Amino acid sequence: MASDERLRRTMMFVPGNNPGLIKDAGIFGVDSIMFDLEDAVNMNEKDAARYLVYEALQTYDYNGAELVVRINGLDTPFYENDIKAMVKAGIDVIRLPKTESADMIHELENLVEEAEKEFGRKVGSTHLMAAIESAMGVVNAYQIASASDRMIGIALSAEDYTTDMKTHRYPDGQELLYARNVILHAARAAKIAAFDTVFTDLDDEEGLVRETKLIHQLGFDGKSIINPRQVAPVNAVFTPTEKEIFNAQNVMAAIEEAKRKGSGVIAMNGQMVDRPVVLRAERVMKLAKANNLVDAEGNYLEK
Amino acid sequence: MTDKVAELYLFNPRVKKTWQTFLTKKGIPVFSDQEVDQIDQTIGLFDEKNRLVGTGSIAGETIKYIAVEDEPNGPAGARFNQLVSSLEASLAQSGHFHLFVFTKPTYEHSFAHVGFNTLAKTKQGLILEKGTPNIQSFREQLPKKPNTAKRVAAVVLNANPFTKGHRYLVEQAAKENDWVYVFVVNQDVSLFTTKERLALVERGLSDVKNVCVANGGDYMVSYLSFPAYFIKDHDRAISYQTTLDAELFKEQIAGPLGIQVRYVGTEPDSPTTKRYNEALQAVLPKEVLVKEVPRLTQADGKQAVSASSVRQAIKDNQFSSIVALVPKTTAHFINEHWQTLRGKMMKGQNQHAD
Amino acid sequence: MQIKQTAMAGTLESSDIQIMLSQGEKGITFDLTSDVKKQFGDAIKKTIQDVLASYQIDDVMVKVVDKGALTPVIKARAITVVQRAMDQKDQPNWEVL
Repeated sequence: MASDERLRRTMMFVPGNNPGLIKDAGIFGVDSIMFDLEDAVNMNEKDAARYLVYEALQTYDYNGAELVVRINGLDTPFYENDIKAMVKAGIDVIRLPKTESADMIHELENLVEEAEKEFGRKVGSTHLMAAIESAMGVVNAYQIASASDRMIGIALSAEDYTTDMKTHRYPDGQELLYARNVILHAARAAKIAAFDTVFTDLDDEEGLVRETKLIHQLGFDGKSIINPRQVAPVNAVFTPTEKEIFNAQNVMAAIEEAKRKGSGVIAMNGQMVDRPVVLRAERVMKLAKANNLVDAEGNYLEK
Repeated sequence: MTDKVAELYLFNPRVKKTWQTFLTKKGIPVFSDQEVDQIDQTIGLFDEKNRLVGTGSIAGETIKYIAVEDEPNGPAGARFNQLVSSLEASLAQSGHFHLFVFTKPTYEHSFAHVGFNTLAKTKQGLILEKGTPNIQSFREQLPKKPNTAKRVAAVVLNANPFTKGHRYLVEQAAKENDWVYVFVVNQDVSLFTTKERLALVERGLSDVKNVCVANGGDYMVSYLSFPAYFIKDHDRAISYQTTLDAELFKEQIAGPLGIQVRYVGTEPDSPTTKRYNEALQAVLPKEVLVKEVPRLTQADGKQAVSASSVRQAIKDNQFSSIVALVPKTTAHFINEHWQTLRGKMMKGQNQHAD
Repeated sequence: MQIKQTAMAGTLESSDIQIMLSQGEKGITFDLTSDVKKQFGDAIKKTIQDVLASYQIDDVMVKVVDKGALTPVIKARAITVVQRAMDQKDQPNWEVL
């Protein structure tokens, strides 16, 4: 898997045929930008959106955000051209909608590899992620998550999923509880990122925060968002507490100390510090930096 | 942040009611069958809260019933542009790359801003077009008048079918001018098809040298077909339609083609045609003179030779009485197609005047 | 070369550009509507001309309504409209991209 522990608190959907939104997508400080060639684009404009996203990727600077494109599904006539165009454009991640099996990822991977060879991109440089949008996808979540070394994450897409489950979305999210847990477990077992679904009511910030707190508590990496207004509330939920930062600083200091002593064992308060603890500390420090709570050296900044 | 475009299915009474309420609020009050039945497609623009904030419709290659509610703090015109853009894309999808708009004067600037060209306007409404082929291409494909032609006239005919009365009118124009454009109205709503009407006019005038016969295209149609959905009062609507038709002829046809006189038949019997002639008289001079020629009368010296009496004779199965009313060429055609014409007549496809 | 059919691409929304191609016989002719025509008219035409050249199209009427599009947008819309006008909507020309 291509897990690289980058922050993925927010993945913003950007309609693939809207020049204004595509141009501005980099200025809101989102961690990932997802250009949508699928649902946000009218059937007759699929070609137009593909060229537009292609040209945008050649030209605009997205300030280091991870660049993702949601291509059209395997069962559409746009699928193969979407893959070729996006690989040629050098996209970071291709997101496959309506993923139901590991085979779908294998097929995608083969086409991506062909395109990488055709357009002189490094083989393996295009990462993949899968959107789970059905009961079948949830049942096969781990196989999907571990189907390829190119996989960096899986995401729950709740609109189609709840329809498939013969329900719809409710404010308390009970209907998504199982799917969220399964997807999260699949992601963690495969060591890739887990993204939660979108929250569509832009005026209900309280609801957005409630839902983000829930998925943060469960352990998701972040949330899909549909509007820049949702960035700040989501990031706020993912902000570490002063205490968490203090602990992480201690761990980082212990690592430095071990390095200085040339010791292979990291110890704190007479206890060995194992790898998950180190990873968590690194993540807390990244979050703290992203929220401007510490400086470049990791010193806590008093507000 | 973005509004969504969605189709409005007016056959759903609830949707239609929402649409009408919105338009009424925006000052568009007319929902007569004549206006609404022509609509092929209607789209709506919905804001984040799913409220209708704009709508527009397509009828053939015409945009109508357009209205938008601008965002209180948003950029002016953004919604309008999105709406027009969607309508154009929809037309393009079905292979139409030329379109007309009939709208209130307040929207002229907005349409100009997205590439529309005003063809003619009145105080109450205007017609704009965009795309190709357009008015320039229409004028370019017309037969060229000789360089020597100094006095140039025009006659616009429906010719359903071409009668001796029409011929008499054109002959008067041809006698008094160097060159005469005869435009045949291009609308297939008559007993005789456009192709037939055009052919009968051509054949019936083939011996008159300084005349050219042309299809009136999209630019010389029945003024009654001009959408007037934004004018509530019927009388004002007719006045708008006739005036706009006259302006369109003056600005886009007569001016560029150098036409100095338009010949029309007097109309003692039909109040609508009378009003139309009045509108021409009000709009065309001084640039273009309107010459009313008394109608050619039948043998009794009273009744005018008219296409409607020809159609009546077809209906009454009286071929013999037609011969006196039409040139040989038209009589020949009617004779050959007697059964078909009678069949159509019986089905009631006999609307529209001369 | 001429195009096969009339085609249109792009929208009238802010930051976009609407381009229509129709058959012509007098070289490449432009009809450009833009608020920034004075400053950027030539640049807009140049971007479109470059795309037309890469498809070897030299006889066409180009009607443009610009709403403040940047170069990548102009290029993307020009490619889209040419592909459509050549009746190759679903067969991208990878060399041109």
